[in-house]
Amino acid sequence: MLIIKKIFEKREITALAFLVILFLGVGLRNPDFMNAQSITTVLKGSVLYIFLAIGMTFVLLTGGIDVSVGGTLGIAAAVSATMIRGGTSVPVAIVVAILIGLLIGLMNGVGVAIVKVPAIIMTLGMLGIIRGVMIVYTDGKWVENLPDAFKMASQANFAHVNIYFILAIITTILVQFYFSKARTGKYFAAIGDNLEGSILVGIPAKKMIVIAYVLSGLCASIAGVIFASQVGFVTSNTGVDIEMVAIAACVLGGVSLSGGVGSVVGSSIGALIMTAINSALIFLKVPSFWNKSIQGTLLILIVVSDVLIHKYFEEKARKQRLSARAQCLDKSVEDSKDSKDAHISTESTFVGGNGQ
Amino acid sequence: MSANKSLMKLHEVYKSFGDNAVLKGASLELSVGEVVAIIGGNGAGKSTLMKILMGIYPLDRGEIFIEGEKVNMSSPSVALEKGIYLVPQEPLLFPNMTVEENVVIGFNENKAVLSAKLRALIKQLGWDIALSRKAATLSIAEQQLVEILRGLLREAKILILDEPTSTLTFNEIQSFFKLMMTLKEKGIGMLYITHRLTEVFEVASHVVILRDGEITVSGPVANFTKEMLIKGLMPDNMVHAKNNREACTVDYTKMPVLKLEALTGYGFNKVSFSVYEGEILGLAGVVGSGRTELAEAIFGKGEILSGEVELLGKSIKGFNTNEIVEKGLNYVPEDRHLNGIFAMADVRLNTTSSILSRLSKVFINKKEEKSVTQKYIDDFRIKVTGQDQTLKSLSGGNQQKVVIGRTLSSNPKVILLDEPTRGIDAGARGDVYKIIYELKKLGLAILLISSDFEEIHELADRAAVMYHGTNDVVLSKAEITLDALTQAAFGC
Repeated sequence: MLIIKKIFEKREITALAFLVILFLGVGLRNPDFMNAQSITTVLKGSVLYIFLAIGMTFVLLTGGIDVSVGGTLGIAAAVSATMIRGGTSVPVAIVVAILIGLLIGLMNGVGVAIVKVPAIIMTLGMLGIIRGVMIVYTDGKWVENLPDAFKMASQANFAHVNIYFILAIITTILVQFYFSKARTGKYFAAIGDNLEGSILVGIPAKKMIVIAYVLSGLCASIAGVIFASQVGFVTSNTGVDIEMVAIAACVLGGVSLSGGVGSVVGSSIGALIMTAINSALIFLKVPSFWNKSIQGTLLILIVVSDVLIHKYFEEKARKQRLSARAQCLDKSVEDSKDSKDAHISTESTFVGGNGQ
Repeated sequence: MSANKSLMKLHEVYKSFGDNAVLKGASLELSVGEVVAIIGGNGAGKSTLMKILMGIYPLDRGEIFIEGEKVNMSSPSVALEKGIYLVPQEPLLFPNMTVEENVVIGFNENKAVLSAKLRALIKQLGWDIALSRKAATLSIAEQQLVEILRGLLREAKILILDEPTSTLTFNEIQSFFKLMMTLKEKGIGMLYITHRLTEVFEVASHVVILRDGEITVSGPVANFTKEMLIKGLMPDNMVHAKNNREACTVDYTKMPVLKLEALTGYGFNKVSFSVYEGEILGLAGVVGSGRTELAEAIFGKGEILSGEVELLGKSIKGFNTNEIVEKGLNYVPEDRHLNGIFAMADVRLNTTSSILSRLSKVFINKKEEKSVTQKYIDDFRIKVTGQDQTLKSLSGGNQQKVVIGRTLSSNPKVILLDEPTRGIDAGARGDVYKIIYELKKLGLAILLISSDFEEIHELADRAAVMYHGTNDVVLSKAEITLDALTQAAFGC
C-alpha cells in the first residue's frame, strides 16, 4: 500500500512510465510506431497540447477549469494567419494574437474570481462567444495560402529536434521552476487547496485566479499561432474539442480537478501521451472517427480513478483521525487529572460556521 | 517588558449579519507583553470579533488602532502587515503541501533564509515535527503547531489564539503555555480565546468577558476569582432553580425505545445507553467528543464497526437511512444549512419532503400536503407569511422549527436532535425548548445532543456525557448540574 501511495505521489513518474509502455506496447504490434519519424511526428504534434496544458495547469491548480481554450486557439490562429497572409510582419501578428488571448483570459478571470460565475459556465459561455465571432471573422472560409517562410518555421530543427518542441519544453521547465522556486509560485496550488486558508495567510486569491485565466488565454493564443504555422491553414473549426485533450493531458499528468495538486511537468507529459495515443490509433489502424470517443473515454476513466483514489485516501485519513481521537482516552484521562477544574464549554467554529 | 504601551485598541465595534447583531459596541485593548483572555458563551461574538481584527469581515461601525495608529482592516494582508496573526481554532492548512511549504507560504523573504529561521525556531521550541510531511497526514494537534509556527515565523506582534488548547493533549498544553510565556517576555501581545477558566488564571494578565456582543466584564486577572467569572458568563436573569417543570414521568420499567450497546465506530468507542418513551436523554460533550459521529452512525449515515443499536428491541444496525426513518427514528442535524434545509424551497416542501412517498403515489396530494404543513405551522408557532415562503427568508429559529416539523411528519418514535438551538436567538430558543418538551409529553423518546450544558440541564431527564468518544458517565436528573456536566465532559 505504501508503495502504491508513493507512486501516486509522483504522478509524473507514472505518466512517463505510461508513455513508455504505450510506445513499447504499440511498437510490438507495429514496429513502425517506434521509428524516428513517427516519434518526431508525435513530438511536433504535441507542441499545441503542451502549451494548452501549461495554461490549463494554472487554472486547474486554483480549482477552476477553462473550456474556452479551444476557441482562443482558433481565433488566435485565424487572426494571426489572416494578418500574416495580408502582409503584416510575423512578430506584430503574434503580438496581436497574444493580446486577444490575454483579453479572453482576463474576461474569464474577472468573471470567475470577481463576478463569481462558476468557472465551467463562464468559460463555456466564452467559448460560444468566440466560436461565433470566429465564424463571422473568417466568414466561414478557410484562411489559406500562408507565406512559406511562416510555414517552414515549424519544420526548423535544432540538434535534430523540432524548434517548436524545444520552445514548449523550455516553457515547461521555466514554468515548473516558477512553481517550485518563486515566491508566488505556490499561490495557485494554495488557492485550490484551501481558499480560506490562502486568504488568511495574505495570498491575494482573486488576483491570482484572474492571473491563472489570463495565463491560460496567453498559452492558448500561442498555441493558436503555432497551429497556423504548423498546419499552414486555418478552418473555422480550428480548435474544436481541443479543450478536452488539454484537460485530459493535465489530469493524466497528475493535476487534480479539485485543485491544489499537480505539476506542469506532469501536464506536459500528459500532453505527449495524448498525442501519442492519437498517433498510435493510426498505427493500430483504428478508424480515426473513433479518436474523439477514445479521448473522451480516457478523460472520464482518468478523472474517475483520480476521484476514487482521492476519496479513498481522504476517507482513510478521516477514519484514522477519528479513531485516534476515540482511542487516546486512557492517556488523556491520565493527563488531565492535574487540571481538575470547572470548565465552561461552548462552541465556536472558525470559518464555515455560522459566523458568530 | 514595557507595560502600558498599547499595541492594539478596538473602539466601539459593531457588526451585524442581516438582522442578527453579533457585536454591539465591543471595545478592547491589548498592550505590549500582555495576554488578554477573552471568554464568552455560544455566539457571544468572539470569533466574529477576531475575524474583524484579522480583516476577514469588514466592521459596520467602530475603529481599530494598531500602536496608536488608526488602521482600516480591509483584508487579511493588511492585518498581517500590521503584525497580527490569527491561529484559528480549526487549522486552515494546505493539506497537499508539506509542513515547511505551509509555514513559509506568503512570505516575501528568501526561501533559504526562511528555512533556516524555521529550523532554528523549531529547535528553540523543542518541537518534534517533520517538515517534509504532508499537512494532510498531521493530527489536529500537529496542525495547530504548524499554525503557531506560521505566526511565530512572521514575527507577529499580536497573536490571536482561538481556543488553541481545545485540541491539544495535556503535555502539549503545558509546553504551549511555556511558549506563550517566552513570547510574552519578548513583548508579543496575545488575545487568548478560551472556554477553560483555569487557563485564564494560568496564562492571562487580563480577562475580558464577551456576552451578546458586548464586553461586560474587563480587568486584570488578579481582581477575579473563578466564581466571579462563571457568574459573569451567566445571563443576568438566569437563576439556578429552573428545573421547575413537572417532575419527570418516565417509566423506566418499559422497554427502552432506543438502546445502544457498546456501539463502536469511527470517532466513538463502546457507547452504551438507552432512551425511554417520553424521556429526553441529554447527550453532552465538547466539540469533537464524537457525538455527531455517533448520531450519524445511529441514523445509518456512518459506519458501525461493532456493538448493537436497537429500536424497540429490534436491531437497526446496518439499515440505510431510509429504512431507519421508516422504522421510526429521525434525526435533526447539527448544521441546518449544510444538512437540514432546502433553502430555496418553500416552507411546505421543506415540511413534507421526508414523507413525499406517503403523500403521493405518482403525483403529490396537494391537499394533504397543505394540511400537514399548516398543522406544524400552527403547533410550533412558526412565523411565516404563507406556506409558500422560501425557507431562506425565515429566521434561524423558525427554520429550525420547520426542520423539526419535517422530522415529526414521519411519525417517529425516537428523534435525535443535534444542537437544536445553535445560532438561534434567545426568544426562539424558548420556543424550541417548548416544542422539545411537548414532544416529550407526546411520548417520543428524544436524544438531545448539545454542547450547551445549560440546555442539557434545563431539558434533560438524564444525561450521557461523551468524552473522547466514550460515555462512562450517565447522570440522573438530580445529578445534572453544570459542574457535573463540565467535569465529565472534560474528563476530570
